[in-house]
Parts: sequence; C-alpha cells; structure tokens
Amino acid sequence: MVVIQALVDGILIGGVYAVVSIGLTLVFGVMGIVNFAQAEFLMLGMFVGYLAWAWLGLDPLIGSVIAFAVVFALGCVVQHTLIRRVLRAPPVAQIFLTVGLLIVIENAALLGFGSQFRSVTTPYQTSALRLGDLFISVPYLAAFLMSVVSGLALWLFMNRSWYGRAMRATAQDGMAASLMGIDADRMRRIAFGLGVGLTAFGGAVILPYFTVHPTVGAQFVVLMFTVVVLGGLGSVAGAIVGGQAVGIIQSLSAMAFPVQLQNLVLFLVFITVLALRPQGLVGGAR
Amino acid sequence: MDKRSDHRGPRLLRPTRRAALQLGGAAVAMPFIARLAYAQKGPVNVGVVLPLSGANAQFGVNSLRGIELAAEQINKAGGIKALGGAPINLVVADSTSTPTTAATVGQRLITQNSVVAILGAYASSLSIALSEVTERRDIPLLTMSFSDQITSRGFKNIFQVVAKASTLGRAQLTETAEIAKDAGQTLQRVAIMYEDTAYGTSQAAGIRETAKQTGITIVMDEAYPLGITDVTPLINKLRGADAQAVFPASYLNDGLQIIRSMRQQRIGIPVIGGAGGYIIPDFKQGLGEFAEGVLSIAPGSHDLAPELTAEFRQRHGYFMTHEALEHAVCLSVLVQAIETSGKADPAAIRDTLHTTRFDQGWAKAMTGGAVKFDQTGLNTLSEPLMVQWQGDDLVTVGPSKYAKKKPIWTA
Repeated sequence: MVVIQALVDGILIGGVYAVVSIGLTLVFGVMGIVNFAQAEFLMLGMFVGYLAWAWLGLDPLIGSVIAFAVVFALGCVVQHTLIRRVLRAPPVAQIFLTVGLLIVIENAALLGFGSQFRSVTTPYQTSALRLGDLFISVPYLAAFLMSVVSGLALWLFMNRSWYGRAMRATAQDGMAASLMGIDADRMRRIAFGLGVGLTAFGGAVILPYFTVHPTVGAQFVVLMFTVVVLGGLGSVAGAIVGGQAVGIIQSLSAMAFPVQLQNLVLFLVFITVLALRPQGLVGGAR
Repeated sequence: MDKRSDHRGPRLLRPTRRAALQLGGAAVAMPFIARLAYAQKGPVNVGVVLPLSGANAQFGVNSLRGIELAAEQINKAGGIKALGGAPINLVVADSTSTPTTAATVGQRLITQNSVVAILGAYASSLSIALSEVTERRDIPLLTMSFSDQITSRGFKNIFQVVAKASTLGRAQLTETAEIAKDAGQTLQRVAIMYEDTAYGTSQAAGIRETAKQTGITIVMDEAYPLGITDVTPLINKLRGADAQAVFPASYLNDGLQIIRSMRQQRIGIPVIGGAGGYIIPDFKQGLGEFAEGVLSIAPGSHDLAPELTAEFRQRHGYFMTHEALEHAVCLSVLVQAIETSGKADPAAIRDTLHTTRFDQGWAKAMTGGAVKFDQTGLNTLSEPLMVQWQGDDLVTVGPSKYAKKKPIWTA
C-alpha cells in the first residue's frame, strides 16, 4: 500500500515536472539553443496566474490559459528581437544571451513585484480523494490532469497540424524548409513562444500548492534540466518520460532513504543513465 | 627624465614610479583615514545585511521594516545625543539567500561605507557567513539568528539578542508537554522534520536531546532541503509514524506545503512550529482557517509590548513579526551602546555591548524587559515563548508568566 501511494504521488508530481520541462526540450529541439532562462518563464507564468486570481478572481487552473497566452506572446517577441540574432552565433554567445535574459527577467520581477512570497487560496487545495487507504491530493491531481491535456494538445499540434509539420521540418533542416516555402523565422518564433508558454502554463497549474516569488525559478531550474537530459535533450516524449522518472524516483527513494537524500538518489540514477545511454532514455526519437 | 617627459602625453596618466608610489601609499592609508571618519560628527553609518530576495525574502523585508521604524524613531527624537545629535544612517545591502553573498556585501559595507556595526542577516546560515567577515574586520554584528553556532565559536564581535536554537528546541518540547498535560494528555511519541540549513538542524538537535532526557520517543526524524518542491514523501512518513504531535522547523514555502499536505491527508495532530515561517502573517494568509490552532515557539512576540509594536501594525497593516521586533531591538541596543560609550567606534561599541545591561527603548519588548550579553555575545535574558494562531492573531500562550491567552490543545 505504501509503495502504491508513493507511486501515485510520484506519477502525479512527475506529470507536472514533465509539463514545465517540455518547453525547454522543444526550444532545443527546434532551434538547438539551450535556454537557461526557461525557469524564469515558469516564474512569469506563476505571476500571471497569481494576478489573474488576485485581480479577476480566476482559479489558477483557468488562469493558466491566460498565463500561456501572455507568455507565448512575450516569447515570440523575445525570439524575434533577441534569440534570432544568436542562432548562428557560437554557443558561448547563446549562453551569454539566455543567462543574461535570466538575470534581467528575475531582477525586473523583483523590481515590479517585490520579493514577497505570494500564495493563492482555493477551496480544493487542502482536500484529497480517498480510495481505501490511498490519498490522492486534489491540487496535485488537477495539476497532473492539466499537464496531460496540454501534453496531448502539443502532440496533436506537432503531429497533426500543418504548423507542427512545418516546425519539425525547420528543426530538421532550416534551409531546406525555407526552400519549400516555409517561413522558418516564423516557425522558430512560434516554437519559442510555445516552449516558454507551456512552461508558464505549468507554473500556473502548480499555484494551488506552491507559493510564487521572483526567484522561484532557481528551485526548478536544476530539476528541469535533469528531466530533459534524462529523457533525451530535444525529445518531447523524452521530457514526459523524464518527468515521470524524476517524480517516481524522488517519491520511491523517500521510502528507503531520508527525504534529504532524494536528490542524491535521483542524481545517482541520472549519472548511471547518462553513462549507459548518453542520448537519454528516449533519445533519438523526436 | 624631464627631457623625455615631453613626449609622453598628459602628466597625470603617465605610469611613473612616483605615481605608483602615491597610489600605493593612498591605498595603504585608506583604512586609517576611514577610521578617522568615525570620530567626526556626521551621520553614523549602520550596516544592514538582509535577504531581500530569494527563498528568505519575506523575512528580510519584515526585518528591514523593523529596523527602519526604530531608526526613524531615534532620528526623530534627536539622533544620538552623545554625538551631538548625529543621525543614524542605514546602509542596506541585499544578501540574497546565499551565504557567500552575505559575506561579500558585508565586506563591501565595511570597506566602502565605513559602518560602525552591522545588523542582520535573519537566516542563521547567512549570519554565520557574515560573521566570519565582521570578526576578521573587528566590526560588531548584532543578530537575531537562532543557531547555536552563532555564539559558540568564541567570536568577540558577535551579539545574539535571542535565545539560541537548542534552547528554543528544548522549550518547544517541554512547553508542549506542559500544554498537553494540562489538557489531560501525556506526550510520548513525537515527530520532527526540519529544513537542513543551520537553523533547522540546530533546533532539531535541541528537541532530540530534550526528548532523550525526558523519555519522549521520537518516531520520525527527517531533514529536508530548504528548496523542497514536493513535501508529500514527508507527510506520507508522518502518516505512518503514529505521532501525537509534530514539530516542524521550516521557512514559509515549505511550512505552507507541509500544513496543506497534512490537511489533505486529514492528519489532525497538533503542529508546533519552530518559529521561521509559522509565525508571520503570510502563513495565516496562505492557509486561512487551516492556520487556526497551529502552535509555535518564538523568541519574541509583538503582544508583550503592544505600546511599542502598535505603530508597526498601523504603518504596514499587519502585526510586528518577531524578526522585525528583534531587529528593531538590535538597532536600539546598538544606539544605547553608542550613547554609553560616547564614541561611534567599533571597538568601543563592542566593549560596551559586552558589559552593559540595556533596558531602554526596544529592549523593553524582549522577555525580561532588557538585553544583557554574556562574554560569548548571547543575550542571557531572552526566554523562548509559545505562541498560537487564534482567530486572526498570533497570541502568546506560554510560559504562563507571559501568556496573554490560554493555549488550545486539540489532540
């Protein structure tokens, strides 16, 4: 029973880890850029969700859609004005740009919102479903379901729509895609917007159980990179598998070891996977 | 030399041996000149190092508000009289929530702003890092951090205005056993969980030791990382532990997550927090009715001195948190030390702090109504309080000589 409980908790939290990390892998997959500022877009999404709750009285689960839209738009602007310029630059320039972006966004948020912690109150955040001895946390379940829905929507978009195909074509060979009449710049804009938008969406859905403050990104950034590298950098399916793996490992390890060591266990597994399968669990398959 | 000099451009920029000597001499003399400045009548620079961003930002902001209130009151009342009415000038630096940054900004305050003393840095891990710098530079550091390590290293320039963590941990357990006994329950099995930086670790040690002495069994003993993103494994363990009460030492985000997850799993045993995140208004704001009845240990409380703390509530719309209160005490005690010694000189201030009993200004708001440091720098008069969320307010419920209301125990 205890094992099942830990598994369920791990799967639920893993779903959330997956959705906040998909964006990072998407941006890398389409553009070959590692976006170090990705976790800051998570923070922005949390703030949009929080403000939608505080000003408009919207539940964060609905606010997450607004968070997606706002940050998607912001992402398109960032791609057009900044990222586009370093696509062919040496990796060092790309790192400087995204790390710089991280610092700018974080400090802008500190200026704009102040450093206080903010927390929403919703009626369901302290309730749980009970199945026999099994407890399923409602805010975790809600966040998980929202993650599944967004993951499915992304999959449909990438595989069934013209835009998705055009985006994958751009990822495979930007020049060839352009020759086929695809506006590669536009595709990259949408890809970056989608990438950061999804992360922001994930940020908003965890609001019922997590507080937001301008430096919250730091709590997630290592986790996000672990998830995508574990699954296979650049692979959307990999991010989902990676997210689940991280959630379940953290949850199960806490049964045998002190909670303090959950990240030690996680990184031992991580190193082992990288040693045996450097391309990640689902590497190669995009 | 003079002949050639015509070809070398402007005199000032020429890299001659003489210029190098002048610059070097100036650099060597700087600290002495800066030290001379202490003796003058201008404003007295007091350094403030607090976590104004990052995981502990909330507490840094509260603390700063306390210090600012005390500084304004002092300046409005005519500044430091012993120095001809010199005003206090606060030089504030953000330590973020990283110990190395706390040390760096502390260093900067000392070298660039010639502060006579530093106040800060709320979190024990930050204060410990900061104190390495202040000790090296012989600048007094007044802190309200709890960790035992603060005053156990034989430092001469550190002053801890609150009881240390192991004392708080002991009181947390003995006071609780007392409250339970009054309600007809014998406390036998308890759970502890704590964030694993200096504050949580030393407080847990206090509880652990006291439990051993008093024959109480610890059925769960778990540390967790401060930036924890999912507390469910902790609460699952708690559910399986069959404890009568739980003693968590957390900051805000982890504290909120712990209580929410406990309520989800319908674990209704009493919670006795270890100060930190359990006794600030945001805790109540984030939890609403679920905060009701949560107990906590605290080194100070606003309701012991309503006449002093009311102005804070008026100004900011919430009660004066203990960290705001104790930081105001730090500044007030520092100013009293300058008044007594008659000099804004770090060494004189340090000696006065070690030898004087301070019972004016904000020092009255502490338990015992005064502050008196021993040779290690610990305030020997500070006693831990037990506080509880009742209605919208945090009230002192123990020990009985300080209690404003009766504790509520729901076993």
